[in-house]
Amino acid sequence: MRTRTLRSRLMIVGIAMTLIGAVAVGALAQGAGKSLIGKLEGPEVVTDAAKAPKSFHEAPQFAALVKAGKLPPVAERIGQDPLVIKPLHEIGKYGGTWRAGFTGPADFWNGFRCCSGPDHLMFWDYTGDKVVPNLARGLEMQDGGRAWLVHLRRGMKWSDGKPFTADDFVFWFEDIYRNKDLMPTPSAALAINGKQGVIEKVDTHTVRFKFPEPYYMLPDVLAGSTDLAGQWGAYKGMGGFAPAHYLKQFHPKYVGEAELDRKVKDAKFDSWVRMFLAKNDWALNPDLPVLSPWKTVTPINTPTWTLERNPYSVFVDTAGNQLPYIDRVVLTLAENLEVINLRAIAGEYDYASRHMDLGKLPVFLENQAKGGYKVYLDPGDYGGDMIIKFNLNYDADPEIAKWFNTADFRRALSLGIDRDQINETFWLGTGTPGSVVPVDSNKYNPGPQYRKLWSTLDVKKANEMLDKIGLSKKDAQGYRLRSDGKGRLRIEIMTLGGQFVQYTQISEMIREQWKKIGIDLTVQEVERSLALKRTAANEQQLGAWNNDGSEHLFTFPLHVFPFELAAVASSGPHYVKWFHSAGAQGKEPEPRMKELMEKWKKAFGVPEKERIQLGKDIWKIAAEEVYIIGVVGMGPASMGVRVVKTNMGNIPSRMYNSPDGKTPGISRPATFYYKK
Amino acid sequence: MLAYIGRRAILAIFTVWAISVLSFVIIQLPPGDYVTSYIAQMASTGSVVSDEEAEALRIQYGLGQPIYVQYLKWMGQIVQGNFGMSMEWRRPVTEVIGERLWLTVVVSVAALMLTWALALPIGIYSAVRQYSVGDYLATFVGFIGLAVPNFLLALVLLYLGFVLFNAHIGGLFSPELQDAPWSAARVWDLLKHLPIPALILGLAGTAQQIRIMRANLLDELRKPYVVTARSKGLPESRVILKYPVRVALNPFASTIGYTLPYIVSGSIIVSLVLGLPTVGPLLLKALIAQDMFLAGTIVLMLGVMTVIGTLISDILLVWIDPRIRLEET
Repeated sequence: MRTRTLRSRLMIVGIAMTLIGAVAVGALAQGAGKSLIGKLEGPEVVTDAAKAPKSFHEAPQFAALVKAGKLPPVAERIGQDPLVIKPLHEIGKYGGTWRAGFTGPADFWNGFRCCSGPDHLMFWDYTGDKVVPNLARGLEMQDGGRAWLVHLRRGMKWSDGKPFTADDFVFWFEDIYRNKDLMPTPSAALAINGKQGVIEKVDTHTVRFKFPEPYYMLPDVLAGSTDLAGQWGAYKGMGGFAPAHYLKQFHPKYVGEAELDRKVKDAKFDSWVRMFLAKNDWALNPDLPVLSPWKTVTPINTPTWTLERNPYSVFVDTAGNQLPYIDRVVLTLAENLEVINLRAIAGEYDYASRHMDLGKLPVFLENQAKGGYKVYLDPGDYGGDMIIKFNLNYDADPEIAKWFNTADFRRALSLGIDRDQINETFWLGTGTPGSVVPVDSNKYNPGPQYRKLWSTLDVKKANEMLDKIGLSKKDAQGYRLRSDGKGRLRIEIMTLGGQFVQYTQISEMIREQWKKIGIDLTVQEVERSLALKRTAANEQQLGAWNNDGSEHLFTFPLHVFPFELAAVASSGPHYVKWFHSAGAQGKEPEPRMKELMEKWKKAFGVPEKERIQLGKDIWKIAAEEVYIIGVVGMGPASMGVRVVKTNMGNIPSRMYNSPDGKTPGISRPATFYYKK
Repeated sequence: MLAYIGRRAILAIFTVWAISVLSFVIIQLPPGDYVTSYIAQMASTGSVVSDEEAEALRIQYGLGQPIYVQYLKWMGQIVQGNFGMSMEWRRPVTEVIGERLWLTVVVSVAALMLTWALALPIGIYSAVRQYSVGDYLATFVGFIGLAVPNFLLALVLLYLGFVLFNAHIGGLFSPELQDAPWSAARVWDLLKHLPIPALILGLAGTAQQIRIMRANLLDELRKPYVVTARSKGLPESRVILKYPVRVALNPFASTIGYTLPYIVSGSIIVSLVLGLPTVGPLLLKALIAQDMFLAGTIVLMLGVMTVIGTLISDILLVWIDPRIRLEET
């Protein structure tokens, strides 16, 4: 009861802020938001070694340290094979502090997105479509995809000046990944068809990833935000590499038991595992050697999370200036999203996109001149800022289970949604109504007709379809009756509050729209832990969420088909078990779902061209079968409202917005700078 | 008197123990555990926690063990002065709370002082000049103060502060002094940020206290001893301040018991809205994240404060009110 009053109070806080925003809505003509969406652009990685700069320059504070003999010369620090990035507009200037906000220790993605480089071995170009070399100089496929050589950069160093070599991969693989205490369960990223791969040293600067079966997807897996993607996963023991020279002092293989116990006790940890993982945490441990352009100097569990430039950063611009340009990044703690938004509106942040609320767009725009910033919108490439998942395994009510497993029922419900109304109300017209398929330019997009398939408003057709499948009887209020004679057909949608998208309010609107097709929808907002528990226990009927990340179909599949048990909205927990146990547990999916899953699995072991076709087929099935209803997508609702000070340079007018791109990491914030 | 305090202290220890059990159980009541809320938190920001990872986390945090085992482990640590490790902050609980605790005390004491400084004189005035223009005005403002939710007031003030005065949004320090070591400049900065939170936090309490003071004093003013004092020719100010006001102060003293914990937890929403680095938002987040040791320690601390507060108010009452003193001996 108490938490409920608290929650409803918090809701009033939200409503009050929205009202303040609504006063300013008049300033924003309907649909004007679209004009804020610019051209997709970004910096590029220069892979041609001949074009690499021959001499290097550094920030003034490092030059002074070199002069004082406290730091080796810049060329020595960078090594022979710098990671050259061509800034978007021009060569920048050194200096300045980037101010932004964060919401606490769980907000560690915030710093990884802005300041980690990103430190993946491979990464995406600015379109988010093509994999390019990053910390690794290149990848070389061997043995028909069964082995991959990773070429490291010669002379590259950790932030403490120690060399970054193949030994750091071997240490990670043998002593972290294969240590059962640190890693009780292996990662799917290092496996193909459920069979684990190995990592081995070839020479100081070459590493081999070896797999029992062809693993064509590895470059994408190294580029995406997966378990093999640099130090962001290190807090849980993932990453693909780790600073062996530093971490050995906390590992039982290298220090005596008594000494380790003493260290654990002194640091007040309850086990060496917790201590090791905390020491290996990029955001938490300022002593951890890193490879990113900035490194943590005051940790994330204090009121200010500060990062400063890494003297050994391997990133340089085309003129040979060691990156980053900006000296420090200061993230100040604000435990409340309203405070973060208000501070951005007041111009107290230099660059902010995380936690910015699309609903406040009018207020952001109104204060542009006063706050000295400009607003950009970065729509996502995924099809659904809001999707509705049917739980195909729901079994508490056989009648509802039957309809959820009837394709025409799902299609009819999708046809009963007026997406334009929702788009205008909640996205201020900046989203795109349609099915779950990703943006047309995505390589796995099956064709423009699939955006509209079963995803336009057609009340007449929806009613005909529902009549035809056996739901023709209605009660006095016009709602359809159950076929088993137990009264009105009531279905329930589960939503979560306090998210980037107002799932509850949108669901309420859909509830009104579905009255026209005689469907009685109950909207139930639940607390998030309860949501997870209910989906895992198979108690959810419909679930509202988004499908962000799904444009990278093969690295982010969980909103395409049932893939994870721990989801806030699920398409079917029994199918998840079936999929991961290769049929030993759970429940066998219907033929088309099975086909979709098989195609997805197959894609990891085939060359790219074949994979693209499989990807298209998967989206075709998804759109035809409507396992998941797409409502409105490709909008800037999730981290897509960007507030940037006008004196910041090399800022793209639009960037690829996705967790896989660690946006704004995709735009290489190390090249951002202050013009004055 | 000493025996009385001693008896109360022993009882207090048992009360605190009961509170610790209760608080631990209550924190476990909601569905899921720290790992489920962690997964949900990751999901809200576009990140995924795999089922394998979730299982590994549960093993590492010992969440699979029965609740009494977890409780005994926690208690065993507390006896040694170790309140455990916050799961979310990954720091010892004492450190996490410590830095916020005294800022909480500063804000709340400021609010409390403001409340009393406003409420007592206005309450006395309202009672003595009942049904005067001033009384009506105080009553009117008081009721508005009671009726307006203070977090709403906080939001409006924040927005107005920004629009009209270009004030820094929220917090207790300017960004540049956030992490600075203590200095005269930082104290001054804190004092500059203090009035708005203190005012907002104190306002609802002020209204309430005015009403209580007014009602109590009105009761007392009509009693024969006041008439007697007046007929003896005592000056009016002395008649009122020396006797009836002192009696009317009783409720103020007896509410100290829950004023102390209120200092920490009563301001959760306002602190959240104003972005104050106090214990309130920490408790709320710990409860939402099911960070058991952190939430448990704060709840335990609130319990101890209530117990201590009650003890203090009992002693104060004995001191203020002669009638209670008589009963005691």
